[in-house]
Amino acid sequence: MTIGVFSLTAAAIAIAPAAAANNTSATPAIGVTSSALDATIEPQQISLGESARLTIVTSGSGTLSVPLPVVAGLEFRVVGEKRLVQMIHGAAIETTSIIVRVTPDSTGTFTIPGFTPKAPPLVLRVTPGDGAGASSAPDDEALLGRSALTPGTTNANGIRLTADGSAFVRLSTPKHEIYVGESIPVEIQVGMREGFAVSVNGLPKLNSGDFTLNNLSRQPERVEKSIDGKPFTVITWRSLLSAIKPGSYSLTFEAPVTVRIRTRPQRETMLDDLLGDPFMQNVFGATVQKELQVTSPEAAFTVLALPTEGRPADFGGAVGSFKVTTDVSSATITAGDPVTLRMHVNGAGNFDRVSSTMLGGDGEWKTYEPKASFNSPDPTGFRGEKIFEQPLIPAHSGAQTIPPIPFSYFDPGTHRYETARSAPLTVAVLPSAADSTASAPAPTADSTGKPIDAMHGGLRPDHAVSDAAVSNLVPLYLQPRFVALSSALALLFFGGWLALRRRERGATDTHTRAASRMAESFLDRMSAASAAGDAALFFNTARAAIQQVLSARQRIPPEQITAAEVDAQLGADAADIRQIFALADEANYAGRALQPADFERWTQIVRRQLMSTTTS
Amino acid sequence: MTPRVQIVGREFRLVLGRAVIWALILAATIGGRAGSSLAAQTAAPAQATQSAPLAPPTPPTPPTPPTQPTPPTSSTSSTSSTSSTSYSAAALYNLGNAFARAGKPGPAVLNYERALLLDPGDPDIQANLRHVREAAGLAPASPSRFDRIATIAGPRICAWVGLLGLLVTGLSLVARQRYSGHRRKLSGAALVGILLMGTTLCNAIALWPTLHAAVVIAPSAAVRVAPVPNEEPSFVLPEAELVTVTAEHEGFVLIHTKSGRAGWAPEANLALVVPKH
Repeated sequence: MTIGVFSLTAAAIAIAPAAAANNTSATPAIGVTSSALDATIEPQQISLGESARLTIVTSGSGTLSVPLPVVAGLEFRVVGEKRLVQMIHGAAIETTSIIVRVTPDSTGTFTIPGFTPKAPPLVLRVTPGDGAGASSAPDDEALLGRSALTPGTTNANGIRLTADGSAFVRLSTPKHEIYVGESIPVEIQVGMREGFAVSVNGLPKLNSGDFTLNNLSRQPERVEKSIDGKPFTVITWRSLLSAIKPGSYSLTFEAPVTVRIRTRPQRETMLDDLLGDPFMQNVFGATVQKELQVTSPEAAFTVLALPTEGRPADFGGAVGSFKVTTDVSSATITAGDPVTLRMHVNGAGNFDRVSSTMLGGDGEWKTYEPKASFNSPDPTGFRGEKIFEQPLIPAHSGAQTIPPIPFSYFDPGTHRYETARSAPLTVAVLPSAADSTASAPAPTADSTGKPIDAMHGGLRPDHAVSDAAVSNLVPLYLQPRFVALSSALALLFFGGWLALRRRERGATDTHTRAASRMAESFLDRMSAASAAGDAALFFNTARAAIQQVLSARQRIPPEQITAAEVDAQLGADAADIRQIFALADEANYAGRALQPADFERWTQIVRRQLMSTTTS
Repeated sequence: MTPRVQIVGREFRLVLGRAVIWALILAATIGGRAGSSLAAQTAAPAQATQSAPLAPPTPPTPPTPPTQPTPPTSSTSSTSSTSSTSYSAAALYNLGNAFARAGKPGPAVLNYERALLLDPGDPDIQANLRHVREAAGLAPASPSRFDRIATIAGPRICAWVGLLGLLVTGLSLVARQRYSGHRRKLSGAALVGILLMGTTLCNAIALWPTLHAAVVIAPSAAVRVAPVPNEEPSFVLPEAELVTVTAEHEGFVLIHTKSGRAGWAPEANLALVVPKH
């Protein structure tokens, strides 16, 4: 965790070199908390009239007094202090940066001694300058926060900041020696320093007529980066760069960027110096927005011509590294039917120049113009697969061979032409009945006596018009009347089905209600017989109830329900029911007295049977 | 089987037979009108084709060898004739031949495509369509296996098969509700009816792209990004090319080629395979 504490010095310390030289013992010092000390000066080369920034960075705890250096011809002025507190593993580490403005009063090379005995001296070169630059780049720009990034100069990473240090445009290329027609992937980065640059107002533009830029990515990547300790928003476009003609050329890219620039004149910069940080300056309204064209450093290219020696006859301008495979849509076809031959060209290079005539007419195959499609996972189209599809019709039946398809390209890696060839393919062509019909003699002849096929290049003869005519080419099943008819029939059937279903349910309900009433009636009569102790009436009623139940199940008259029918229908309950039948006969003819518990038991058995019928 | 069951079976067959007869009578009555008096047209095909502008000017008599039809003098006649009252596969085929002999592949392909809609299984139409497309430098059409199977029968036959399937399915389901003793047989019959309706559905799926297709009848058709005449063409369609039409706007139609390209082409340069009524 980092906690930034920014403090502004209440008063600047200015030391005149001459005065300091005269009184070295009284050299002013700055108090810093320090246990380690480092110092840098940026930029290391300036023009006369400009200022450099000397940053003294200390870290650790404790207070250390660092005297300001004394160098003849240089003025040192403390303009700000920045304090950072980092929490690392629970320990607070404090870093303090003292910003000192260094202003030369003459040209030459100045050496600033190291702040510690082991520290190397700092070197500042001051060139005469052109005067205009000094006026347009006031000393305050040195305070906008730059370290190794120096406005107006290109660093080792190819980054050149604008004069105010707010933005840069950078071109990244894999190589600087290319062939004519070769496509190389490039990255165009527009960096905007946070707090200084506001927005990018358009796409980067190529400033050269010797190159072309293709497939500039529509959705650039946007990342936050720290470059030399400064926060930048870097927007990256990817594209393909191609050279038009051989020679040595250079190119630049430029992008429109809106930046904040300072409005106070030189004499009023004291407040800005006090404010120090650009954020604070913006708060106090010291900047305005302005559009700038930010240009990248020049990138030099050597463009080589494609060699004429060894150039294949079928070379179509493809430059890159490719592989070729082929396949067919079907390995077995019928004579006369087309088959599609597909050629896949995979690799990396200028796919816009990848072309092929594929298979030429050779008597064995009738060929057509191929069509091409391109699939690429890469938005710039540098890598991918181009597929050529060519319809073929075999001239003869049998096993037909599709010969290897060559594809020639120039490989910039090997610096020579290469020819890739696909493997031969075999297609089984079956004879067709249509072919035999077609090869039959012409059935008719015109008035001049010449066969029709011979006259009209293979057209089959006219038909006798004997078929039915229709008033509409729309299929009958899609015509409104037919659809209405079908819908009406469907509705009719659905209505019939619904009516039958409702009727069946109604009949079931009626039957259920009748069965329920009948069951209640039988049970009431059995209850009355039980109360009266009339066993004969009880069992006769019980037998009649069982007969009604089985009669309803089997749809046969109740009097036809016998003991055998009971065995066939009731299964597990057959023993009890058969015993009811037997007890009824016994009660009728021999008389039988029952206990109330027996009446209850037999009543439950009969009730179960009646309930099963009414519920089913 | 008990006598009661025998009574039910006899009644079932009687009711089912009467239902089928009534349903067929109803279908014939309504469907006959829907099919533009199919029976009457079948009885007098020559008259029907003769009255149609699309038919050859000199329709041949069936028993004698056909004579050479004369193509219309301009390609517009082939498109304006789409408002005619009757179409015949043979007449359209002959007209396509006439245009092919006259060196007009666009109208020839248009009439072959229309003939194929009515009689998709005719090998002569297929062969001549393939021949004309090849002569025009176009890739031959390669229908999928599904399309070939689904268009074995013409759409008219498929329509009646589908209607028969609807009748069988409906009657089976109704009878299944009424006569529960024959549920298994009636379920099988309903399944057969559903399969018959499925053949119609497959035919409709296979023919659907053709119903929205158009043929380039002009020597070429410039295709633009927007439906405005003063814009540079993005590509040019060759004559006899078959494209799909998805929209139209003030004399332009939005077309899609089989290779996936799309754009607006002048409506006058194309003719719909199935004309609008």
